[in-house]
Amino acid sequence: MNVAIAIDKVSKRFPLPGDKEGVLALAELSLTIAPGEFVAILGPSGCGKSTLLRLVASLEQPTGGTVTVNGAAPGLVSAQHALGVAFQDHALLPWLSVHDNIALPFRLAGRRIDEPAIARLLELVGLASFEKARPKQLSGGMRQRASIARALVLEPEVLLLDEPFGALDAVTRRQMNVELQRIWSARQITTMLITHSVDEALFLADRVVVMSGRPGRILREVQVPFARPRDPWVMRSEAFHRLVDDLTAALEA
Amino acid sequence: MKQTLLGALGIALFLALWEVVGRTQILGISWPPLSDVLAELTDERRRPLFLRALGATLESTALGYLWGTGAGLILATVAHLLPALRRGSDRLAAVLNSVPSIALGPIFLVLLTRESTPAAVSSIHVFFIVFVSVSSGLQRATPAHRDLFAVLGADRIKRFGRLELPAALPSLVSGLRLAWPAALIGAIIGEWFGAPRGIGILIINAMQNFQIVLLWCAVLLAVGASLFFYGLLTLLERAAYARFG
Repeated sequence: MNVAIAIDKVSKRFPLPGDKEGVLALAELSLTIAPGEFVAILGPSGCGKSTLLRLVASLEQPTGGTVTVNGAAPGLVSAQHALGVAFQDHALLPWLSVHDNIALPFRLAGRRIDEPAIARLLELVGLASFEKARPKQLSGGMRQRASIARALVLEPEVLLLDEPFGALDAVTRRQMNVELQRIWSARQITTMLITHSVDEALFLADRVVVMSGRPGRILREVQVPFARPRDPWVMRSEAFHRLVDDLTAALEA
Repeated sequence: MKQTLLGALGIALFLALWEVVGRTQILGISWPPLSDVLAELTDERRRPLFLRALGATLESTALGYLWGTGAGLILATVAHLLPALRRGSDRLAAVLNSVPSIALGPIFLVLLTRESTPAAVSSIHVFFIVFVSVSSGLQRATPAHRDLFAVLGADRIKRFGRLELPAALPSLVSGLRLAWPAALIGAIIGEWFGAPRGIGILIINAMQNFQIVLLWCAVLLAVGASLFFYGLLTLLERAAYARFG
């Protein structure tokens, strides 16, 4: 089987002051993601799902087990500038314009800035007329769109999304989901999405993984049957509602 | 608007009170009326003296400001990039700051010339303020920005140039604003160790010859020089916060 992200019996323990045991965030968790697959990780807050993403992003090191991205250690993959990332905090640099924020990955990678690519992405995320604006001048949804454009601009091998719409209101969030679905369908990059919204996971992903609370383990995996590109109407179908009920029950178990 | 008006009213009241206290001599003869001080300050015959003193002090202050800023900026940056040096440099700056400049004067006099002592004392004052503001400014990048730079594979130099340095700019400019009055005080104290001219010398001479009005003129000159550049630097600070804050 072809594997893009391999998480093999990974444990992560965070030390606590005065406590040798510390907190066990993840316990021997294994998960594989195929190239071009979109996997959503669903779980209650504090279940270690963000830790899982941070391990793949090389922001944390596992206490036990191994994580590989396309067969290599995550640190090597990020050094090759092959990861794209968007966090709940948009993390745009306040002193740069939208255009320069999206061009930042080129500068950090020491590559020539591909202006047509930036222009296409600005168009794709609907910010073409805001390229000179500063993040401060944009709405919350626009900032997240800019941050997603930045994550995509180097055409990464892997896209990591850590609750990118978690701070948005429900209406904007739904719009952003529809847009991300459209953007992702145009270029199917291996993607790991962390979320606590069942609707978001089901609408966007090929496969939904439900995690348990501390220590984080996988409770359930569900293949999402809806064909792409997905129409927002999918969310009103009976099959969608059945899956939402099913996964919500698993989350509450 | 209301605040500006209230502020202007407060200043006007203070100046009027000064004039009254001076005229009535309630607080003795060492408190002359403001009008006498201003008359002396604008006196044609005094002008060459004041301009020479102000010029000398501003020159020392500017030199000390530049040297102190340069040293503070370089040491804070080096300590940031080489963590092994961080604790040592923090301690050096703290020790330098804890020595009163009055005590440093004689040492500078031995090591340097009478003419360059004012700039040297001034630079020590500036160095500490700039060092502290740059050191703390370089820590101001948010965890989310640091994570972003790490995932995007930025190396140490790119992280410094494209994240930490721009994030430190508002803090640096605040430091530059606070450092100006400190630089001026340093230069005036430094002049007391035998500089040929300057506002500090004017103060000493006026005091020793009991020229009270001249003494107040020297004080007003120092206050004016301090406030003028402080005001300019406050404008610069606002611009820096609007752009990088």
